[in-house]
Amino acid sequence: MKEYQLGEFEEIVLLTVAILHEDAYGVSIKEDIESRLDRSVSVSALQTALRRMEKKDYLKSELGEATAIRGGKRKRFFKVTKTGKAALDHAKETRRKLWSAIPDVSYEYSKAWISKGLRLPPGLHSS
Amino acid sequence: MDKQRFTPPSWSTQFLAWFLKKDYYEDVQGDLEEEFQLKAKDTNLIRAKRWYTWQIIRLFKPSMIKEIEAQNSIEKETTMFKNYFKIGLRNLWKYKSSTIINVIGLSTGIAAFVLIALFVKDEVSYDRHHVHASDIYRVTVKNYTRDGDISRQWAFASGGHATRLKEDYSEITHATRFYAWAFPDLNYGGKDFLGEQVVFCDPDAFDIFSFEFIEGSAETAFPDIYSLVLTRSKAVKIFGTDWQEKGIVGEAVTLSRDGNEAPFKVTGIIEDMPDQQHFHFSYLAPIRFVELIMGEDAVNNVSGNYNWLTYIRTSEGANLPGLTKDANDEFWDKYIGQFQSGANARDFYDFEFQPLLDIHLTSNLEGEFETNGSIDQVYIFSVIGILLLLVACVNYMNIATSHYSRRMREVGVRKVIGAFKSSLIKQFLSESLLVVVLSLPLALVLITLSLPYLNEFVGKQLVFNPLIQTDLLAGLIVLMILVSSMAGLYPALFLSKINLVQALKGEQSMNASKWNFRSFLITFQYVVTIGLIFAIGVIESQMGFIRNSDPGYNREQMVSLSLPRGDYSNETFRNELLKHPNIEKAAFSSRIPTGRLADSWGSRFFRGDSAVATGFRLPVVSVDRHFLDAYGIDVVAGDNFRDGMETVLAQDTIATGYYVINRAASIALGFDNPDEVVGKRLNYGPSSGQIVGVMEDFHFESLYSEIVPTLFLVTDRYRRISLKLKSENIRESLDHIEKVYAEFDAETDPNYSFVDDLFNDQYQKEERLSSMIKVFAAIAILIGCLGLIGMVGFIIETKIKEIGVRKVLGASSGNIWMIISNRFLVLIGIAFVLGLPLAYWFMNDWLENFVYRTSVSTILIVMPAIVAVVLTLLAIAYQTMRATRVNPVECLKDE
Repeated sequence: MKEYQLGEFEEIVLLTVAILHEDAYGVSIKEDIESRLDRSVSVSALQTALRRMEKKDYLKSELGEATAIRGGKRKRFFKVTKTGKAALDHAKETRRKLWSAIPDVSYEYSKAWISKGLRLPPGLHSS
Repeated sequence: MDKQRFTPPSWSTQFLAWFLKKDYYEDVQGDLEEEFQLKAKDTNLIRAKRWYTWQIIRLFKPSMIKEIEAQNSIEKETTMFKNYFKIGLRNLWKYKSSTIINVIGLSTGIAAFVLIALFVKDEVSYDRHHVHASDIYRVTVKNYTRDGDISRQWAFASGGHATRLKEDYSEITHATRFYAWAFPDLNYGGKDFLGEQVVFCDPDAFDIFSFEFIEGSAETAFPDIYSLVLTRSKAVKIFGTDWQEKGIVGEAVTLSRDGNEAPFKVTGIIEDMPDQQHFHFSYLAPIRFVELIMGEDAVNNVSGNYNWLTYIRTSEGANLPGLTKDANDEFWDKYIGQFQSGANARDFYDFEFQPLLDIHLTSNLEGEFETNGSIDQVYIFSVIGILLLLVACVNYMNIATSHYSRRMREVGVRKVIGAFKSSLIKQFLSESLLVVVLSLPLALVLITLSLPYLNEFVGKQLVFNPLIQTDLLAGLIVLMILVSSMAGLYPALFLSKINLVQALKGEQSMNASKWNFRSFLITFQYVVTIGLIFAIGVIESQMGFIRNSDPGYNREQMVSLSLPRGDYSNETFRNELLKHPNIEKAAFSSRIPTGRLADSWGSRFFRGDSAVATGFRLPVVSVDRHFLDAYGIDVVAGDNFRDGMETVLAQDTIATGYYVINRAASIALGFDNPDEVVGKRLNYGPSSGQIVGVMEDFHFESLYSEIVPTLFLVTDRYRRISLKLKSENIRESLDHIEKVYAEFDAETDPNYSFVDDLFNDQYQKEERLSSMIKVFAAIAILIGCLGLIGMVGFIIETKIKEIGVRKVLGASSGNIWMIISNRFLVLIGIAFVLGLPLAYWFMNDWLENFVYRTSVSTILIVMPAIVAVVLTLLAIAYQTMRATRVNPVECLKDE
């Protein structure tokens, strides 16, 4: 089976591109992530992720129209490709499998952990 | 909506543009800009700017930075270079005349440069092959007069110097003398080899110099005093080509001279001494043999008898100035002390230790073993070589830049398509490389063809074969790159700078008349041409001056030869020769004019009853009483020698002397009127007597040196006879001389020479220098003319419409000729003002070498300018004629 590798930030970016659909370009993606997830994103991190995924063929891009506010520079619009969609599905499926495999006891342990104000062990994320 | 626009920090943007991948730049910068505008509006400008910059800094990471376009760019470059060469070749083919001019110019320039470089390289490589070369010094002795002036510096030392110096100074680890025992005959197995030059030396010689042994070794060279080491070519001569198989070490040979015989044994064979060595010996034998023959005293004196070529080797890094000072402070006091007269010996002598590596180029002392080179000559030729190369490069630059009108459109189109300035520079540099590469075969042919002539001229065996001599090959490659970049850089810069719009419009207003770098280049060429013509003029006039100057003696139809060997009476020999009616006069002497005045003794002149040392050097020549008459030298006071006025020199007795001195000697003694000095008493060396006559001054030595006080006396110590022939039937007279000579000495051939040949030989070096400079100057002028023709052609081409219009309006060819010439005449003027003083300064320096010299006449000064003007006008006339013959309609019809 084909291996889909997707980092956490990459997954977020990929999802956001999908959310924005026809209007996904640098600034809009960044703003969307910032407002939706309440975290600040650097242009550098965003661009790195975008270009990496474009190279991995999860995204494709094309240049769009220029506006005055951009100093006459054109926008690059991103779209999720079929492979990108498959990667997202794969990620979701992996998560789902993992979620469903957790026995209930673990949650108590986990809750106790959190109530003590300790950090989660690496690899476990609270969402 | 707020239409206000904020400006992001520009240098951050530039930075971004510099590093960010090209295809990322547009949208990323656009995103940044968009967000920046929003931020600037929402918050404040400073924060927005800070954010903007910070984002850019964070973008500076490997995945975002442009790749270094390695593989890709090489491919691109090679394609471009292919294109450059293709276009270059097409241009060369299309404009054949300028290609030919360039190729001829560059190939002759390169050829001349390479030839000169070969010569210079050979000159500076002398004696470097000796392993200890930098620690070897030659012991030379300076003699001073009573007044402390230097009188002579000898290339030789006295016999006793070497051993004593070695004993006294620990820094001197080895010392040897070389003594040439005048040409003994060598006998091997019944075969005679006459007059071989055997040189006697100390065993240290083999530790000082790196003589290459084929048979035997340095250690076994001199087992006893009858050892003989010879060179390969002598081994071949004596033992035949198969000497090596024969095993000749140990073979017995006999050396004989003046009836004495000595049995020698071959102990070693060495390679022939290389050309690049300042002395060449064929036989080496132990000096102890000479000691045995001549007696210990004769080879151990510490002053005078400067016949011993002496070399020392010091320990590595020895302090030479200190050593020289110590030797001079101590040696003379220790071994001589005071003369009988009470004077200190150290005031009269000085050692100078000459570094071995300097001898060939800088030493010209009394009695040099072989004629050395001259550093001046090396400098002169280096300068000429470099000038020639520069002139050839300048030529290329001139033609290439006047070419610009043809290339302008091409440059314009290339620029429009996106050529960088750097790629245009590359293009034009590769074109110059192309021309240089094309010139190379011709240059190689020229070098190969002219090398034999050069060799004959400088008396060397220079070799040119870059296939074998890898250093030469490397040198040639470096030279090619150097020449092509020197020649190509300016045109490349010039053409790549062309303004795009002008280029495409085909405007030709490009400073065709303005003072620009090209004018400077043309001026440079004129400076070189004018300078060289001036130099030739001065050399020629000096040579002419010498050739035509009267040395003060008769040298026409004078023949001189060494005396036959054997026992006979001089008088008989003379009479036999004079029997022939065409031999008018005959005179014996120890030396003849054109030689050097090398022998001298101390002299004391009587003022009243007390004898006072004369205090100047008074060299002596032994003559017979016919000598002055034979050479046509006038006696201005007193008399010539008469019969019986012979100074009979003998051991342990003071001979009665009869002297004839020259006018210079009379003046030096304080008698401006020569009549007053006649009859005065003089002690000269081992003789005491009176001055019987004063002769007119004449140039015994070359015109390089002043006429020095000279003394003649009659002894029987003659070495040569001089014969005055009648001008008719010279061949017959010479036959007679040969016949008579054979009667007295059947074994050797008479080695006669004409005195006027000998006279001219004295200036052979200058003659050679002059003809070589002439050849090279001619090349420089040729290259310059070619360049001029090419350049004028282009200038006319760009002005063809102007010429057409002028012709329509009634200008004659002459007018147009003048208009074009004007500019060049101005440049010649400038070149004249700049170049002549420079050349004058150089040549004056050269003339200073001569005591008797010509003055620089106006004609010499004006000549170069006239030549330059005439050549220029001719070149321009040639091109103008071609241009003006065209019907103006032809060049004006299309616009």
